[in-house]
Amino acid sequence: MATGTAIDPIHQFIVAPLAQIRIGGVDAHFTNASLFMVIVLLAITFLMIVGTAQKSLVPGRLQAAAEMAYEFVASTVRGTTGTEGMKFFPLVFSLFMFVLFSNLIGLIPYTFTVTSQIVVTFALAALVILTVIIYGVARHGMHFLHLFVPSGVSPALLPFIVLIEVISFVSRPISLSVRLFANMLAGHITLKVFGAFVAMLLGSGAAAIIAPLPLAGIVALTAFELLVAFLQAYVFAILTCVYLNDALHPGH
Amino acid sequence: MANEDKKPGNEDQAMQARLEALSAALDRKQQDRDGTAVTEEANRKTGRAVSLGFRVLSEFVAGIVVGALLGWQFDAWLGTKPIFLIIMLMFGTAAGFWNVYRIAAAPTGSRGRGNRRSE
Repeated sequence: MATGTAIDPIHQFIVAPLAQIRIGGVDAHFTNASLFMVIVLLAITFLMIVGTAQKSLVPGRLQAAAEMAYEFVASTVRGTTGTEGMKFFPLVFSLFMFVLFSNLIGLIPYTFTVTSQIVVTFALAALVILTVIIYGVARHGMHFLHLFVPSGVSPALLPFIVLIEVISFVSRPISLSVRLFANMLAGHITLKVFGAFVAMLLGSGAAAIIAPLPLAGIVALTAFELLVAFLQAYVFAILTCVYLNDALHPGH
Repeated sequence: MANEDKKPGNEDQAMQARLEALSAALDRKQQDRDGTAVTEEANRKTGRAVSLGFRVLSEFVAGIVVGALLGWQFDAWLGTKPIFLIIMLMFGTAAGFWNVYRIAAAPTGSRGRGNRRSE
């Protein structure tokens, strides 16, 4: 059996340094993760700059894609936080495009999925929550704490409710980052395992007849993963908007 | 003369037949497209449902995990080994339910966000 040859589904997530860089004793290696972050940024920059360079009345393919991305995020931000929230549009748009392109580029075989690293997704989530806290405190001062005190609660219950609200607030960056990370990790592991099934069945004599079954499964799963890649970017963007809305209007 | 009379009739018939064949082909194509549209729609619905389910799960688990971590840390600071872990675990579970309730309640909520939050 081919089980001994160990098709390792975790191997694709290993971060390996491509160039050893140390700045004053700090580990600043240029890894494959860094490489793919640069690729993602270049792809987004290419889409937005080349796509909007023409400014033709009847958009070409690239221009249509760039305009669609802009309008989609803009309508999401407006619909969730109102026109007031549009000052956060650059943040939400950058987050959405980065997550979307990381997810999509990661689906290409032999690439590295940046968003399958919990460090990356947690950094993004921490950025969102820190923005919410800093902007909320700067704009509303102590009134921002009304976020944790719902109105119309009896004084006897208030300490418990506040504690629950605080835990709920602290759990936001965790659920935001873990959801994206786990979706990407699970999807890529599933694809890898199905691919391993095909290889193992082909190498096991008579059972090779049913090898096309997992192959068909991979095709269906890849389509599903494309959908998940987009949906997770969308969920990340819309939850960012929901949390930013709390910073704009605390106390519900 | 008879020959010339017959010709336009033939052409009309041929035209009629061709038109019918064309509209039949169009109908078939439309049906095919409807079929793929239906599967695409179903696929999208499944994707949305899966992502909503995943959202509910992660919000719920995150609440419990945060409660447990807080309780564990308080115990480590205050030296009251299991008490805060147990209490905060209960509050964390409550917070997890509260998170889930907020997702579920938003579509009919008074804030007028419609079903956007549920996606």
